[in-house]
Amino acid sequence: MLLAFAQWLSEDVRFFSVFNYITLRTVLAAMTALFISFLVGPTMIRKLAAYKIGQSVRNDGPQTHLVKAGTPTMGGALILISIAITTLLWGDLRNHYVWVVLLTTLSFGVIGWVDDYRKVVHRNPKGLSARAKMGWQSLIALAVGMYLWNAANLPANTELIVPFLKFFVFPLTAFLFVMLTYLVIVGTSNAVNLTDGLDGLAIMPTVMVSAALSIFAYVAGNAVFSKYLGIPYIPGAGELAVYCGAISGAGLAFLWFNAYPAEVFMGDVGALALGAALGTVAVIVRQEFVLFIMGGVFVVEAVSVMIQVASFKLTGKRVFRMAPLHHHYELKGWKETQVVVRFWIITMLLVLLGLATLKLR
Amino acid sequence: MRIKKCGTQALGETHVRTANVMTTPNASVRFWIITMLLVLLGLATLKLR
Repeated sequence: MLLAFAQWLSEDVRFFSVFNYITLRTVLAAMTALFISFLVGPTMIRKLAAYKIGQSVRNDGPQTHLVKAGTPTMGGALILISIAITTLLWGDLRNHYVWVVLLTTLSFGVIGWVDDYRKVVHRNPKGLSARAKMGWQSLIALAVGMYLWNAANLPANTELIVPFLKFFVFPLTAFLFVMLTYLVIVGTSNAVNLTDGLDGLAIMPTVMVSAALSIFAYVAGNAVFSKYLGIPYIPGAGELAVYCGAISGAGLAFLWFNAYPAEVFMGDVGALALGAALGTVAVIVRQEFVLFIMGGVFVVEAVSVMIQVASFKLTGKRVFRMAPLHHHYELKGWKETQVVVRFWIITMLLVLLGLATLKLR
Repeated sequence: MRIKKCGTQALGETHVRTANVMTTPNASVRFWIITMLLVLLGLATLKLR
């Protein structure tokens, strides 16, 4: 909305043309989302605490976590509110990619919200059943895949590109494209959700990955830069940089309250939505493999759960002391803050590796 | 503002922060966030001139 207003003003006052620049709006979006979260955060946390919307802690988890029971949860709603308002303010609302990512994020947020609400308010420990949760996630992800396939008007929109290998470009069929989109969105969403087990563990990697994706979106949406760097040119994708900026800003502000010892947890409402947002942006800018690299911590956390479950069912033995992986390290004697910061450091390295794929190909 | 050196145990049983008390990790992370903002502001000067 502010973009349209600035464009209208720029007809008379040239200065306002500066708001046409995606880079500037990305920085402004990050700052706006941050300040909205800072403004709304304390009130929301007080309300969540007043309504006794507190996290229940799994009994079979590390004993050190029992003290966290009752900490307000569903703080992810704060992130989603900030992202939505910021996007409506600074995003180009004529761009269909912005709407696809925003609606996907909010839809996954609604799934998470229902799950959290049942767990916390209705005291139903199972929340939304796994089948229902997966069913709704699948429905939304498949719809996004089909929409993006139908909206594609360039071969680049639906090609699979491989990092570091400039000439390995695979045109996808409709079926493969939709399935890949489905796997990336649902996979990332659930992987972020599994990672969200320690204070600040999920949000900081989300901030870092979204900041890196904003660079990819900007480059993919710029004809000159995309040609120079040899990545697919996706007209309109640059606007997603603004969206990613909003995620980073809102995420950083949330970290302020989520840092150990957390005043609030994001809950499924935040984790599922943020994961879906990252997945959708990666699909649109055709950087699924790069997301896999940069979100390595999310991948490893999800894989650790799969290995643990498969191993226990097949052999009756556990590979890790506890899954997801962060609990394994806690039980090995690392402090919670050590696990969190070390996983952040690993993410920083992986994000650098992901960004290196821009040039090394 | 007081900064407590120790973690959760120092804050009592509830894990919820007492007003105006920050633990070391809390203070560290918040200072990192402030630094990130300042870096962002610094980068913005590339465009805003």
